[in-house]
Amino acid sequence: MVHDMIISSVFAVVQALAMLALSPLMIGVIRKIKAWFQGRKGASIVQPYYDMAKLFRKETVVSDQASWVFRVTPYVAIASVMVAALLVPFFTIYSLGFVGDLIVVIYLMTMFKFFMVLAGLDTGSAFGGMGSSRELMVSSIVEPTMLLAIFTMALITGTTNLSSISETLAISGIDLVRPALFLATAAFFISLLAENARVPFDNPSTHLELTMIHEAMVLEYSGRNLALMEAASWMKLMLYSVILSNVFFPWGIATDLTVLGMIGGIAAILVKVLFVAIAIAIIESGMAKMRLFRLPNLLTLSFTLALLAVTSYYIL
Amino acid sequence: MMPGPMNELVEDLPSILASSVVSSSLEANHLQIEVRKDALAGMAAHMIGHCHAWLISEHAADLRERDGTFHIYVIFALPKGDGIITVMSKVDGSDPSYRSLTPDIYAANWFEREMMEGFGLLPSGHPDLRPLRLYDSWPSGVYPMRKDFDPSVPVPRVPTGYEFRHVEGEGIFEIPVGPVHAGVIEPGHFRFSVAGEPVINLEVRMGYVHKGIEKLSESLPYPRGVMLSERISGDNGFTHSLAYCQAIESIAGADVPERARYLRTAFSEMERIYNHMGDIGGIALDTAFGVGAQMAYVLRERMLSLNERITGSRFLRSVNCIGGVRKDIDMSGKRSISTELIGLKLDFDDLVGMMTEMPSLLDRVETTGMLSDDAAKNLNVVGPIARASGIDRDTRRDHPYAAYKDLSFSVPLYREGDVYARMMVKIEEVLESISLIEQAMDRMPEGQLCAKVVDVQAGRIGMSLTETHRGEAMHWVMSGEGRPWRHKVRDPSFLNWPAIEVAVMGNIVPDFPVINKSFNLSYSGNDL
Repeated sequence: MVHDMIISSVFAVVQALAMLALSPLMIGVIRKIKAWFQGRKGASIVQPYYDMAKLFRKETVVSDQASWVFRVTPYVAIASVMVAALLVPFFTIYSLGFVGDLIVVIYLMTMFKFFMVLAGLDTGSAFGGMGSSRELMVSSIVEPTMLLAIFTMALITGTTNLSSISETLAISGIDLVRPALFLATAAFFISLLAENARVPFDNPSTHLELTMIHEAMVLEYSGRNLALMEAASWMKLMLYSVILSNVFFPWGIATDLTVLGMIGGIAAILVKVLFVAIAIAIIESGMAKMRLFRLPNLLTLSFTLALLAVTSYYIL
Repeated sequence: MMPGPMNELVEDLPSILASSVVSSSLEANHLQIEVRKDALAGMAAHMIGHCHAWLISEHAADLRERDGTFHIYVIFALPKGDGIITVMSKVDGSDPSYRSLTPDIYAANWFEREMMEGFGLLPSGHPDLRPLRLYDSWPSGVYPMRKDFDPSVPVPRVPTGYEFRHVEGEGIFEIPVGPVHAGVIEPGHFRFSVAGEPVINLEVRMGYVHKGIEKLSESLPYPRGVMLSERISGDNGFTHSLAYCQAIESIAGADVPERARYLRTAFSEMERIYNHMGDIGGIALDTAFGVGAQMAYVLRERMLSLNERITGSRFLRSVNCIGGVRKDIDMSGKRSISTELIGLKLDFDDLVGMMTEMPSLLDRVETTGMLSDDAAKNLNVVGPIARASGIDRDTRRDHPYAAYKDLSFSVPLYREGDVYARMMVKIEEVLESISLIEQAMDRMPEGQLCAKVVDVQAGRIGMSLTETHRGEAMHWVMSGEGRPWRHKVRDPSFLNWPAIEVAVMGNIVPDFPVINKSFNLSYSGNDL
């Protein structure tokens, strides 16, 4: 038992660090694919690493109007995503799932968001406040959707531990595939776009302050603080993609400690995350951003999907 | 031209106005009426209300050295036929005030504020006399456009403030945006009053790029004035300098060679195409549709490099000169233009097909930023913005210059007044421009490029209207000794900026950038 916990802890740390290390690459890949669609060469896929290195070297300016909330938020942000990462299976099913289940993961993310919203308001800039209010409008619908979607998986597998969900699904294979799985995947994917400020909810590459949601909240950050906020946001996208991959389609994940299983697990998760990145890039290239007040329509749709997923579990 | 109706216009004046006419004269299509200063507002209201004329400009000239008065010129264009009416009034230098036109003609608002700060001419009855362009710390009583103002002496700074329109109420917040923006764009301040997301009020504050163009022009000999006019608003340098050149040519009575007229037409349209491409791309970019934006920017870049291959300048600088043009288009140039345009048209059709058939984009642009027909008329907007709000005006057709008279083109007209309509007007204008260039290439006669213009008599007035990609630009020159005595520039943006405040009303804050982009107004042209 203790032996298992030690193995799980080691893997959890390794996997969390691997996700952190790969998250800028995922951003780079999305940007590259978008550039191809736009007929541009685009920056190298490792550009986000350079950006990160640059930001860490830059001076940090903090408004004299800002309180401790503003200063502490970058650390809360990076800490909450890293703790959440420990609870999520990456290439193996081993994680610290026995410490906290999916509800903890979701609310660690919410803590990140909560502090970011406060930080947006804290400096008193007009844009930060707008970003904060919009973020909360979006997240008030996204949060229940996401919970419902993952609960569907919990219902199918009979556990709320993310690792156990992956394991159960991966081992029992096709037997557990139900319509609910696909409905929940769709709902979760829409939530992923909304939570990570992607088109059609937000435009990650815009310079227009008036249209921003996520970017407006971090507008006042600079230097190291900005680097941490950016890293946390990238990590968040990675984390959601991994949850999407491993909770909804865990096949391929390493369920034992064999070398072959590990290699297969690494290959599988990389392919799955790449697939998510491509899907995001295609959506961002193929459609315009929605009007702010149309967002609830799409979000309600995703909530309905999640609700249907839960209901269909009992009916079908 | 049409002397009949123009003469009748003076004869048909109501007796109360007729009695105040000091003199009137008709030259070609230009009717000039001098009225006593107390009748200026009435006469102007008559022109708009009775003759349905469009206000082109209202500006002043300082002629105190000559006759001790300021002259106020109010210029109108008749809606039908190529008729221009100038109503002039003298205002005594010792009592520089007159009755404001703004209560009757809303579009005169900014013109009178401009005259107030430039010349110190007080429009009595004007509702809003805050400065328009000069910075907050400009001392009162110093009027830079007066002849006795010495630009070489620094002006002392007096700390004052600027009062924005203030909206109060529960949950109403102000959002100050600018003058420094996140993108590489010009400076301007936007003050929003919002209730949540919906915009209750927007006030646009301009003046951050005021360069004193009009004053500077008074010190530059005509040929250098051409260079200056190219720099009034960088992306319509050609049409602006064309208007300046035509104004000087009309004073000198110069006969511009036919070939030069066709070349000017072709270059004007080349300028329009690259600008419209940028605008269309901008609308796509602001709705986060990057693919469409990049396609449009590629086409814009192709036009710019074509400009460079043909004239040596991507932005068609130094092409115009007084009397004609400097750059010719030879046979190989013609070939390269027509090949480029064919390819451009094909790729543009792809882009248009994609943008007009994409539901997510259409959802963003339709019904966004509506400028109603009525508001557009009252605000006297010009260009594609007017044509998207159902106003059928195009200087190229209504007051033809260069070779437009001999070419055929249609003027796209939409009535919706939203971002979609403005986008469609620009899209259709690109296609018309391509056809115009091809026609100009086909019909261009051989001949000289530039007529010699030596004798520009002093004390005469020349005026010219051209259609930039933003709408009608006016250059009005009163000649002096080898340089303008007074040079008035009216960029289309000067008329269109107030319209943006109206169009944004009731929209939500995140839709402002795409509305602003669909207007795409010039800050520099407005601030002069």
